[in-house]
Amino acid sequence: MNIQILDSWLRDYLNTKANSQKIAKYISLCGPTFDRVRPIKIGGKRDWVYDIEITSNRVDAMSVYGIAREASVILPQFRINANLQKIKISIPPKPKKSLPFKVIANKKLVYRTTAVIVGDIKNWESPDWVKDRLNAAGVRSLNSVVDITNYVMIELGQPMHVFDYNKIRNATIIIRESRRGEKITSFDDKTYSLPGGDIIFKSTDNKIIDLPGIIGTKNSVVDKNTKRFIFFVDNNNAAKIRKTSMSLGIRTVAATLNEKNVDPELGMTAILRALYLVKKICQGQILSKIYDNYPDPIKSKTVQTTHEFISNRLGIEISKIQTTKILDSLGFKPSWSGENLSVTVPSFRNFDVAIPEDIVEEIARIYGYHNLPSILLSGELPENYSGSFKFEEKIKNLLVNYGGIEVYTSSLVSKEKIKGKALKLKNPLGSDSEYLRNSLKHSLIDAAKQNKGEVKPFHLFEIANVYLPLKKGLPEEKMILAGIFVNFSFRKAKGIIESAISDLGIKSTKLVKIRKMSNNNYYYEVEVNALRKLSGINSYVPLAKYPAQVEDISFVLPDKTESGDVYEKIKSVDSNVRKVELAKIYNNSYTFRIWYQSPIKTLNNQEVEKIRNKVTKAVESTFGAKVK
Amino acid sequence: MPYLNIQKTLVTLRNEFTAQIVDAKDLPELEELRIAYLGRNGKLTLLIREISNLPPEMKKKLGILINETKSTLNNLIISKKNELKKKGDWFDYSIPGIRAERGHLHLITQAIEEISSIFSQIGFTRVRYPEVEWDWFAFEGLNFGKDHPARDDWETFWLKSPDHPKFGPMLLTPHTSNGQIREMVRTKKPPIRMINIAKCYRRQSDASHTPVFHQFEGLVIDKNISVSNLKGTLDYFVRQYFGSKRVTRLRPHHFPFTEPSFEVDIVCDICMGKGCRLCKDGWLELAGAGMTHPNVLRAGGIDPDKHTAFAFGTGVERVLMMRSGLKIPDLRILYSSNLEYLKQF
Repeated sequence: MNIQILDSWLRDYLNTKANSQKIAKYISLCGPTFDRVRPIKIGGKRDWVYDIEITSNRVDAMSVYGIAREASVILPQFRINANLQKIKISIPPKPKKSLPFKVIANKKLVYRTTAVIVGDIKNWESPDWVKDRLNAAGVRSLNSVVDITNYVMIELGQPMHVFDYNKIRNATIIIRESRRGEKITSFDDKTYSLPGGDIIFKSTDNKIIDLPGIIGTKNSVVDKNTKRFIFFVDNNNAAKIRKTSMSLGIRTVAATLNEKNVDPELGMTAILRALYLVKKICQGQILSKIYDNYPDPIKSKTVQTTHEFISNRLGIEISKIQTTKILDSLGFKPSWSGENLSVTVPSFRNFDVAIPEDIVEEIARIYGYHNLPSILLSGELPENYSGSFKFEEKIKNLLVNYGGIEVYTSSLVSKEKIKGKALKLKNPLGSDSEYLRNSLKHSLIDAAKQNKGEVKPFHLFEIANVYLPLKKGLPEEKMILAGIFVNFSFRKAKGIIESAISDLGIKSTKLVKIRKMSNNNYYYEVEVNALRKLSGINSYVPLAKYPAQVEDISFVLPDKTESGDVYEKIKSVDSNVRKVELAKIYNNSYTFRIWYQSPIKTLNNQEVEKIRNKVTKAVESTFGAKVK
Repeated sequence: MPYLNIQKTLVTLRNEFTAQIVDAKDLPELEELRIAYLGRNGKLTLLIREISNLPPEMKKKLGILINETKSTLNNLIISKKNELKKKGDWFDYSIPGIRAERGHLHLITQAIEEISSIFSQIGFTRVRYPEVEWDWFAFEGLNFGKDHPARDDWETFWLKSPDHPKFGPMLLTPHTSNGQIREMVRTKKPPIRMINIAKCYRRQSDASHTPVFHQFEGLVIDKNISVSNLKGTLDYFVRQYFGSKRVTRLRPHHFPFTEPSFEVDIVCDICMGKGCRLCKDGWLELAGAGMTHPNVLRAGGIDPDKHTAFAFGTGVERVLMMRSGLKIPDLRILYSSNLEYLKQF
């Protein structure tokens, strides 16, 4: 979560000579991250807005005071003096006559409620300094009373609500869980239907009068006619707040704080701070004592660890004295017994710090990660994983050598682009990406279409998973090589695949089927693992010692004769036919270039003629061809 | 200089030149001659400058004469040049070449190969695990509570498939961290030093996010692994991949699966740390990292009292785009199948 606070507000609680740049730089290294520092002019005076990112576990730092507390620990680590200032609060009021107020509690839903009633408000509009500070924090000023609750929330990190006292029947609030379908209307006139199990405040006549910790309702909200105000703090079951807020989509600042376990000890401070501001800003009268309902105060937690544990995790020894100093400054209570360390956690870190590793983190960050050494790993190497990464790399490089261009297309596709069973997403971004593809074909066709104007031949390919649903469990993820040849002659396309296959040490070239899609466009796909299983190492073929005789023979082949079969036939007719190429095609006339060569001698003309006769006879008798 | 004199001088100049050019033996000598007459301070050029002060009518007449002389000289030079070329082994080296066509590996493949080779130099083994995964491996086993607010940061795609009785719903991996648990379950015992590079999925689509992207994740489990080892490993990678000028810093952070956790920033390549529009006060977020949480080791069946571990993870696209010089303004371009783009790399 990001918060925006003014430098001048921070300095209410932080006494330091460090400038805003230094504050941002150093706190970022050891605490929350200052994303940006932005200059601003307020009433002619120069100020700065800090934009600070605070991780979800550090709700204690999501406030002006919280940041000041961090700064007061971190800046001294960089030899800059910094002191945390006290929060100005009222003393708890004890009026002779107190307006009645009652909360019928539910310990499982709300851990603490703290309330006070005020009246006789003089100023309904906030002074500029309040407006400016709220504004810089991204909160709109409404009226002095609501502004005070927001001011306290930004300053202390404790959300707070204000009710119209006269709208609360019998001055009683009943805390309950909602039933599914119960409706509320928020103060800004939006109606929500509750999912059920949400924390709600009810009146004695069974009406919902608040969605506590998240948003106020219209029927209890303060307005210009309000005479008496209840300032109210509730410390709630965070998981419930989160569930309600997420399912209704109401993400108020209050909800995002309350869902992260705000320190229940903060409730009283917040109310007393609000009272202080009520007096200062609107000269209001206090009409009640403080109603504090806190049945089970949090017990302080203690974490046990050792000096050795800390040193081992950091890779450097930090002295016991320094460890104590760091923990002390953060509000922890460390105590040593020999090498054993026992650390009592402050209430504001109660939900965040639980195990020895958390203590290590506190010490490490304040000591400074930048002060830790950088040490390369030693030790044994692990056993190997038999992946096909190298093989995939090899295929890709071969295809690239033959002019192929690799693409990465999305594995999420539309319904039209799947065939047969495929996995469907529950929450797709759109209908064009609601399925996991079970073939690469359409993706590659789309990729080719992106280059419609191209007239030269091109070859796109991809190696990626397809996802095939199984009856039970996770789908099969199959690594597929697929490619598309565009503006290509079939012989050239096929030749590229044949060459690559042969380079992979695979004997049979039939494994990869190339299919015609339209004139001069061809598609192929094959399972990478199938290739991998057949691939091997090409062994050395001894170089020829005796010269070859090369000649061309042309055959006229009957219609629809498969020239590949003719080629194979010629090749296999005699062991001294060392090599054959289809050299030329003219109508039905196919010219084959044949290498006659023996490994043991130079063939003479008679021997060559014998082989030639074998070849022509075989082709004529098998295919009904004629020598031209 | 009076008109007649200039006319005379022009004729002399031309005759002189015609005599001299016969003696030019090669191209450099010819060039010398050209400069002597037609260069910035050549004889003819100087003469032209001189007539600029004459009355307009005279200037016009002389101008025609001068131009004639100039073109005569030029023609003489060209024909002499061709004559000289024919004499020697002249060859036109200036002709534009026919560019060779080659294939292209995708930028992502290039990055993945580079990343895995850097980590293999320091003993990491590359692994691969499912992209379609159970909640338990992607979240629960990594110490994300069911309602943990941290889950929000991982906008996850869920599948319309029945839940696993033990492992929960089926999802598309929003990060490569499921590889941590998978690798522990596979090897059963440390040492583990893995790098998992895979496709990941998140519900997001804008200039800097695509729903399908790639991450790499490191996990090291052994005895006495410390934050300092993590620093050493990351520093090694950054030096190899980005070069030594790009310094890094560690910032405390929070991830459910590590404790302590931090983020690694690298100095911005545009402003080199001064702060600019594209970075956060001079820094760019490079990776998330930390010491593996004991609950995660337990989930993988490893005793956290005997072994310690660290993990880190980041986007392949992120490191690729952060490297200086590439300058691709929009991540969606990276995944275009346009040949004009693909052939650039």
